[in-house]
Amino acid sequence: MRLSRLRAASGWPHAAGVGAAILVGLLPTGAECQITPEQASQLRNAIGDRVEALTILGGDYGIAGASFRSTGKFAFGESTDATVAVTKLGGAGDIGDPQPLGGLPVGWQPRVQGNMGWLDGTQHLHSGLVEGDITEIKTYGIEFGGGVRFWVNDRLSFAPTLMGLYGHTSQTYTANSAFMRANLEAARQMGLVDWTVDTWTLITGIDFQYLINLNRTIITLSSTPVYYRTETFQSSTAQLNVQGDSSTWANMIDVDIPLGVEMFGHELRSGGYYRWIGFYGDLRDGLHDSNLNEIHGRVVLDFLNQLWKVQWIGIGASYLWGPNITGWSAGLDVVFRF
Amino acid sequence: MAAVSRPISLAPLLTAVLLLAGCWTAPVATVQPNGEARLIQGAIAVQSVKEAAIVSAVDRNAGTIVLRTSGKAETSNYKLGPKVSNLDDIKVGEVVQATVTEELTVYVLRDGQLPGAGALAVHARVLAVDPSYRLLKLQFPNGENETVKVPLGTRLEHMEAGDSVVIRPVEVIALRRKG
Repeated sequence: MRLSRLRAASGWPHAAGVGAAILVGLLPTGAECQITPEQASQLRNAIGDRVEALTILGGDYGIAGASFRSTGKFAFGESTDATVAVTKLGGAGDIGDPQPLGGLPVGWQPRVQGNMGWLDGTQHLHSGLVEGDITEIKTYGIEFGGGVRFWVNDRLSFAPTLMGLYGHTSQTYTANSAFMRANLEAARQMGLVDWTVDTWTLITGIDFQYLINLNRTIITLSSTPVYYRTETFQSSTAQLNVQGDSSTWANMIDVDIPLGVEMFGHELRSGGYYRWIGFYGDLRDGLHDSNLNEIHGRVVLDFLNQLWKVQWIGIGASYLWGPNITGWSAGLDVVFRF
Repeated sequence: MAAVSRPISLAPLLTAVLLLAGCWTAPVATVQPNGEARLIQGAIAVQSVKEAAIVSAVDRNAGTIVLRTSGKAETSNYKLGPKVSNLDDIKVGEVVQATVTEELTVYVLRDGQLPGAGALAVHARVLAVDPSYRLLKLQFPNGENETVKVPLGTRLEHMEAGDSVVIRPVEVIALRRKG
């Protein structure tokens, strides 16, 4: 069972300027103008998409944190200038050895999945009306769930899972510009700035996995479609109500290579993976990206059966890219097997 | 935030599952391994933690200790390693956690016989082999299992479920009273 990959990284400027960046794009050009109800409704929908996207980004174990740089633009045309720190501690894994399922030629084992994540983003606004304004967004997410992995044979297995994700997202707006100092209260009353929202997300997925052994090397192929349903259960403003449907589809090939060399009494192992994640629904709208590619490399020491439930300890690094973003992450790579 | 359709249809994946489906079977240690009766490899040094071993005898002068470990019918005589320092606390009859080194010899036997050597006193059978992480899962006659990590160079590619294992106790490297 792999249960914990510890990584801390910053990332996803796209999602950082939620509300504020959109605000820049939609605000009337003259300081004397008002935000129309239609514009406010459009803004709130976009904010809802982003809240859902940020909750999944910050709280779900399936999407890696990383330091991203965006080259794209939001739907409203404004360019990005934001930083986001996403820190996650979590993972997923199968417990114990497969057990017989009654008299069927199928094995099964429990699977648990969980994550704690937090996201802290800041965007400095550089646009005529709101020049010098700052918006900050924070998201906390706690996710837990599980399922069962069924083994069809020694190589092929699939694991349907069900999880719940609690998310808390808050946004604060610092008005330094004359325009926003004059309109801050109106924007607040419309639920466009200085809001908090608590959400729950129901997550269902199924992980297909196929193992290939080449001498001592283990190649793991996996494909994991996941569906997310997000709802608000508490909000600082009744006008901000998040209801969304999102999906991801991750496909990965992982190679785990023992090197036959020992260091400090433990065998060195190398390897890595390539993963493609497709984004669909509100997640795609909220992040303004359709997919994310990740290539990861690692060098670890094998501790399996030598130190509690630790499978390996080492270091790893990833390079990530999508249609509008590039990024990287690096950190400690710790994997447990229970 | 309109509802979206599922990104992919699960039907092709489920079809693939069915097409690739074979039979999963739980590992069994009592099967007859392939090939002629033979020695696969001897003197495989492993380290093992005996969680609840009963001290049958201690000879401080000779530097030996006799333990009855779970899963084995007879007692095992170990040398006391240089790092075992709390011998005065250990009494006969006490339950201890013992970290020990042992040597495994793995055979393919036919009817418990090795040609030229006759019947062997087998302590365990191989239940599963993980060559990548060098793990050998053993099953003892009482049904208990133990997984040991074998050294680099162990011929795990020649081992399989059902192989017979003779265990030679070597040394106790750490002792801790239980309870």
